[in-house]
Amino acid sequence: MAKKQNKTPDEIDLTTFAFTASGDPKTPGVPGCGGCHPGGGGLEFDRDGKRYDQRLKADPSLAQSLNGDYYQSKWDKTGVVEADCFICHLPGYNFKERNIQLQSLNFKWASVAAAGVGLVSGVVKEGQQPKVVYNKRLFNEDGKVVLDLAYPPPAENCVFCHGMSDMKKRGFSWDDRINPDVHNMQGMNCAHCHPSIEDKKLKITKEEHNFAKGHEFVSTVADNLDHTIKTCKQCHEEGYMGATRPQHLSIRPNHLEKLACEVCHIPTLHRAAFEGFDVTTGQMVNYPKLGAKKIGAEFNWQPAFQRDEHGKLWPVNRFNSVFFTNQDQDGINYPLFARELKKGYEKAKGRLKPKNPMKPEVHTPEQIKIILSAFSETLKGDKRFQQVKPYYHKGGMMYYLDAKGEVVSGKDTTWATQIEGFNINHNVAPASQALGANGCADCHSDTAHMFKGQIVTDMFGPGGKPVTTAAGRLFGCQPWAYTFNQIHQLYLTPYVSWGILLLVFVLVLHYTGQGPKVADFYAAPGEIQRFSLAERWTHLGRMVTFLALFFTGYIFFYNNVTMLRLFFGSQNTAVILHWVAGLIFVAASSVSFGLWYKDAKFVAYDREWLQKRGGYIGGKEVEVPAGRLNAGQKIFFWLTMFLSLIMGATGILLIFKNSLPLTLNCFLSTVHGFFAIIFVAAVIAHAYLGTIANPGTWSAMVDGKVSRLWAKKHHSEWYKETMAGKGDEE
Amino acid sequence: MVMTAKSKYLGVLMCAGFLGLSLLLPALLQAKTRACVPFHLRTEDGKIINPLTGENADQPYSTRQTCGACHNYDQITKGYHFQQGWNRIKDDFNKKKPWVLSDGMMGKF
Repeated sequence: MAKKQNKTPDEIDLTTFAFTASGDPKTPGVPGCGGCHPGGGGLEFDRDGKRYDQRLKADPSLAQSLNGDYYQSKWDKTGVVEADCFICHLPGYNFKERNIQLQSLNFKWASVAAAGVGLVSGVVKEGQQPKVVYNKRLFNEDGKVVLDLAYPPPAENCVFCHGMSDMKKRGFSWDDRINPDVHNMQGMNCAHCHPSIEDKKLKITKEEHNFAKGHEFVSTVADNLDHTIKTCKQCHEEGYMGATRPQHLSIRPNHLEKLACEVCHIPTLHRAAFEGFDVTTGQMVNYPKLGAKKIGAEFNWQPAFQRDEHGKLWPVNRFNSVFFTNQDQDGINYPLFARELKKGYEKAKGRLKPKNPMKPEVHTPEQIKIILSAFSETLKGDKRFQQVKPYYHKGGMMYYLDAKGEVVSGKDTTWATQIEGFNINHNVAPASQALGANGCADCHSDTAHMFKGQIVTDMFGPGGKPVTTAAGRLFGCQPWAYTFNQIHQLYLTPYVSWGILLLVFVLVLHYTGQGPKVADFYAAPGEIQRFSLAERWTHLGRMVTFLALFFTGYIFFYNNVTMLRLFFGSQNTAVILHWVAGLIFVAASSVSFGLWYKDAKFVAYDREWLQKRGGYIGGKEVEVPAGRLNAGQKIFFWLTMFLSLIMGATGILLIFKNSLPLTLNCFLSTVHGFFAIIFVAAVIAHAYLGTIANPGTWSAMVDGKVSRLWAKKHHSEWYKETMAGKGDEE
Repeated sequence: MVMTAKSKYLGVLMCAGFLGLSLLLPALLQAKTRACVPFHLRTEDGKIINPLTGENADQPYSTRQTCGACHNYDQITKGYHFQQGWNRIKDDFNKKKPWVLSDGMMGKF
């Protein structure tokens, strides 16, 4: 939009007059900017609050001035476009006719023709004075017109504009069996969710015709009205219009906090939105979704996902823009006007030789050099710039020419790279088709769109073909952390249970093949104090809390909602239990470090124990030297100390995960999950060795005592030291 | 045939009914609407347009004058759909992006 005050015609792009009359002459029924503006506001009054037609009649010189409201305008002949109430409230309104009238510059006659109240003949654009012939059949004897106006407006009228623009932005359609909406199927209309709002805080009265609005990343429309619409949760909890209350029994509860309802309930759109646009030719050329014939064609596609300021994911159509700017002396990259682009492209076209002149799809360094050189040439003498330095923006990259005229490329650091997607919030699927209805694998599998779906990030990459990336990589996590997490989710998680089972199987093989230690001390009397009460309680504390951590952790690891609800009732209960057990475990581990670190120091005879593999392999009874803790126990002790430290540090940080950056969360949860697996495997082996593999050993952790024979057999060096201390060497 | 007092009374009632109905007929045959009662179209300067009499019948109607006769046009057009950022537009709206003149469709680009 042109500024009000301009110093040179070069500064003026789209005046309000051009805004009103805009549109493609080849398709006169398709709206330009003015077609979808219902009139009033900027189509009726200038920036000084004066009616355009009256002011220009009073001062015709304004049309020759550089005033952005009047420059080269004919408001005095076209009239203004007053708010056309009938666009929204008259069923059967002829929107196409409105656009034809506006593009004919018949501004003040547009409503008459489009409402069907009369016929308009004559075209201001051709220097004629339009005439009106009213349809007398619509008038009563008293001269009053009878129009069957609708309140609230029918959806058919809303989609005059929203059907077309929102199809492009987000694949939206209404009353469409190809691309249905569950609310539409229940008979709901636009105004049911988007009523005229009344808000004292916003100082909005109901009469003001401001309509309830939801969440939108791309801030181009009434940001002050964001979140004035009833949320899904509000309607479905309050039962608004009989909305059903969802159970979500099979969904992990934290998903309801982290994902917008639309993520799962709009899994697929069935009509093609746009993939992006290219303005190289000076015209906005929209590209349909990759694989679709055209925008609006029947085509199945899945959204990308974008995080809001609270970290919640929303489904979006992440569009790609291909456009040009000029970096002026102030360092700001100004978008090039359509006429500048058109002029530059005409110069470059002959050298570019595109297959389709309307779609040059500039992507090679040679093509980029040609087009940037052409724009450099075009902008010379353009009085709106102090410096000519055109930039090409595409696929997150920026390209410009250096002093020698060679192309320089780099990651786009200008505002142009700040791409946000258009929110997808209509065409809601029935619950039975929502993500998760068929289980976790709807999202958590190596083929699911949620993480693995391919999203276009560059419509024509270096090879001229589209460049894509996995949907999960756009969640906002750093690439390395995402890859780390994917290895965990896709390649580790599915095989962990099998790995644990394999370990148990190996232990069973050992028990049945190699056998436990032959010496059985179950019945041997407890004669020597092996573990103090503090040591036993500490061990007991670690053991019990570990079991709680394992059980809850297993449920979290596999998102096992059935077990969650069966044993804990809610996610919160299980989470709090996990936290409390974890904190006790960390405390108990710290105490056990203090209690056993001296005993866990490696000494010379541990080498022999390790060489003989503790006597566990070979099936023969072998004497192995050991202190209070044998070499295997020492390894286990230090391993669990290390694991406790890792699990404790990551676990405590994860308690505060809602306040941490996504990448850190991604890293922490992966580390926590990975080392949990190792910990569980180590503890299973430890439990085997501490019980059935060494008969009579477990009792030492119950009453703290062992027999002399047991001590001599399993911990010979400690036995000697103990007996020497007692002066009672056997 | 002998008419009883009861049948006479019924006959009078039926006649009265038909008479009443015939009097109401013109009103019943008038077209009805759901949202707005029939209304006069008005020109930009508020004059009535009556195509049946030819009064101002060559003039386009003005919604400001026509709808505004019953509704608060100025209040209604304060809404975003009509303003689209025009009520906040100014040349120095955004210093980092000097081409952005408002936060609505009129001025955003």
